[in-house]
Amino acid sequence: MTQVPLQTRDLVAGKPAVPGAPLLSVENIHVEFRLDFGTVKAVNGLTYHVNERETVAILGESGSGKSVSAQAVMGIIDSPPGFVTDGSVKFRGVELLTMAEKERRQVRGERIAMIFQDALTALNPVFTVGWQIGEMFREHHGSTKKEGLDAAVELMDRVKIPLARDRVNSYPHEFSGGMRQRVMIAMALALDPDVLIADEPTTALDVTVQAQIMQLLSDLQEETGMGLILITHDLGVVAEVADRVVVMYAGDSVEKGEISDVYHNPAHPYTMGLMDSMPRHDVQKDRLNPIKGSPPDLMAIPAGCAFNPRCPYAQDICRVEKPHLHELGEAGRVSACHFVEEVRDARNRSGSRL
Amino acid sequence: MLETAPEAGSDKKLGEPILTVNNLVKHYPITQGILFKRQIGTVKASDDVSFELHRGETLGLVGESGCGKTTTARTILRLETPTSGSVIFRGKDIFKMSQKELREVRREIQVIFQDPYASLNPRMTVGDIVAEAWRIHPEVLAKEKQQARTLELLEMVGLNPDHINRYPHQFSGGQRQRIGIARALALNPSVIVADEPVSALDVSVQAQVVNLLEDLQAELGLSYIFIAHDLSVIRHICDRVAVMYLGKIVEIGDEIQVYEHTAHPYTKALLSAVPALDPNAKQVEHRILLEGDVPSPADPPSGCRFRTRCWKAQEICAGEIPELILRDTDHPVACYFPERPA
Ligand SMILES: Nc1ncnc2c1ncn2[C@@H]1O[C@H](COP(=O)(O)OP(=O)(O)OP(=O)(O)O)[C@@H](O)[C@H]1O
Ligand SMILES: Nc1ncnc2c1ncn2[C@@H]1O[C@H](COP(=O)(O)OP(=O)(O)OP(=O)(O)O)[C@@H](O)[C@H]1O
Ligand code: SF4
Ligand SMILES: [Mg+2]
Ligand SMILES: [Mg+2]
Repeated sequence: MTQVPLQTRDLVAGKPAVPGAPLLSVENIHVEFRLDFGTVKAVNGLTYHVNERETVAILGESGSGKSVSAQAVMGIIDSPPGFVTDGSVKFRGVELLTMAEKERRQVRGERIAMIFQDALTALNPVFTVGWQIGEMFREHHGSTKKEGLDAAVELMDRVKIPLARDRVNSYPHEFSGGMRQRVMIAMALALDPDVLIADEPTTALDVTVQAQIMQLLSDLQEETGMGLILITHDLGVVAEVADRVVVMYAGDSVEKGEISDVYHNPAHPYTMGLMDSMPRHDVQKDRLNPIKGSPPDLMAIPAGCAFNPRCPYAQDICRVEKPHLHELGEAGRVSACHFVEEVRDARNRSGSRL
Repeated sequence: MLETAPEAGSDKKLGEPILTVNNLVKHYPITQGILFKRQIGTVKASDDVSFELHRGETLGLVGESGCGKTTTARTILRLETPTSGSVIFRGKDIFKMSQKELREVRREIQVIFQDPYASLNPRMTVGDIVAEAWRIHPEVLAKEKQQARTLELLEMVGLNPDHINRYPHQFSGGQRQRIGIARALALNPSVIVADEPVSALDVSVQAQVVNLLEDLQAELGLSYIFIAHDLSVIRHICDRVAVMYLGKIVEIGDEIQVYEHTAHPYTKALLSAVPALDPNAKQVEHRILLEGDVPSPADPPSGCRFRTRCWKAQEICAGEIPELILRDTDHPVACYFPERPA
């Protein structure tokens, strides 16, 4: 890694450092929190990548490690107690985890941006929104106050905040939830990132506002060609916007693939369980078919397949041997279940498909 | 889905009304000043709301944040002082009842809240939480029978009766919601008002609680008022649905009428905003994207409150408030230009 500084300059300028490498790749990442009363194994081997212009959804229920894995990518794990114990995060083929702090901060600050899950409370109530958006330019480009404000107005226009020029001096509490989320998106886009990680960007919003925000994100992606990593627990949002999906359970992916493959022919009992649990607004459904039990305690993840205590198909081997991701027929399609073929056959026979 | 006859929506026959809400109004004053409070306006949180709840049915109240769902439910039970209107329960107006009569109503109509954690006392065991109801209403169950009944209730809601001495923090979110349900059932209610009971739960656990509520209804003949902002959950669990916007019901009907013969433009927009679970659905292309935000309930638009965001609005919409009535539609709608089946 002798050439790190040179590569970094290229990276920040948006040039590919390693030709042919994915825009961002995360490999075998492990994160744990060492607490007084035990170790929380929050992320356990997650691997995925995103390309330019692509939307990859990270789907999982509460506590499955979605946010922590994104924090690992951004290098903002709360440490101690949190530690990245293994794995690799590459931006355009260049390793970020071992990069010198200063360069890393530059790449992460400018090329990879994140909208945080608690975005609606992330704005500082005592500064105007224009000041807070302008901060990005003052800090990274050494802009003046006036330049910062002008840039803020332009960005507010871009994220379709009406009357941007008039509202640039408003305070966050004067904005609705949807408008505050637009402000957060404006801040994330300020430096024209190559990758945007959006952690539950619409979870706290009403469905009509969610539709507006998702439309905005997809327009912006079209315009800039950025790669979008969308973290969510909402299967509907995933179905609508993602190209590929990574389904997470207990800190690791249980299956991955192109969106319509996964939805029409799920390859893991957990994904199937999620789909059967979903009520529908567009069709009548007699009875929901929930997954039994609840998600595992991350201080005591079950041996073998983490899903085995809740899985209707579990056999002895599932309680001792962790199933590794293996490839299925379709492009980019992998599943971590010892009995994929059997499970899929059983589901197809029972006819419970979407 | 026009071949479906309107009545096909209700597989249950409507029972007699157990609760009738007439023109319920709840306005909150907006005050200014600390020592000398002056009223500078009113929030029209719930404004002229009427509906009937029938025996054994589930009525859904659905709408976006701030549309007045919780206010309506709390005012029905007089947990908020009503501004005007009446709520008839067992032939009597709850709004005119004495404290003594009200106490009995609050036994028969139980409430389940959104946040199972905040509504459970962290220093009480599960057994004590369930039994507390009988401390307030000792007439319901003799003391010596309480322990056995608590075990029975825990079993009924799918909790392990051996866990009777555990504390709320030792349970998961879904289990805590089950504790809340057991507590509500302790008083043998006939009506349960559930305010966003599954909104905080993950989808796999949410499905467990939805199934539990359905089973309990079938077993005990309960009537539910079920509040949620999730249109899919509402469709799944409700027999009839009332859609609210800015303090008013904009349309009310059975599940098929509201979801398949949608008449109000707001409901149309709301339904089109829900992502389809099918990646090939191309829902996005037909989506009605509403502009802007919901106006302030302190200063709602004249006439139809949706008119400022409605693509069908005409001059008449700014005049008289459209009444919630049949308008060549198979269910009541508060719109001068309702959608009609083609
Ligand atoms: N700072 C921390 N200290 C200790 N444990 C933590 C910390 N941050 C996260 N965790 C734990 O790591 C696990 C994964 O959390 P994470 O926030 O990634 O879940 P998530 O999938 O984003 O869930 P949600 O959908 O609720 O946001 C959880 O068990 C959480 O309690
Ligand atoms: N105690 C109060 N004082 C003043 N205004 C209130 C009060 N309670 C509620 N409101 C206002 O009344 C309106 C209706 O609120 P309500 O809580 O009934 O909505 P909701 O439909 O339950 O929303 P949510 O989905 O967010 O729970 C809102 O504008 C709210 O700000
Ligand atoms: S590996 Fe076994 S327990 Fe895990 S999902 Fe597959 S069948 Fe179920
Ligand atoms: Mg999270
Ligand atoms: Mg509410």
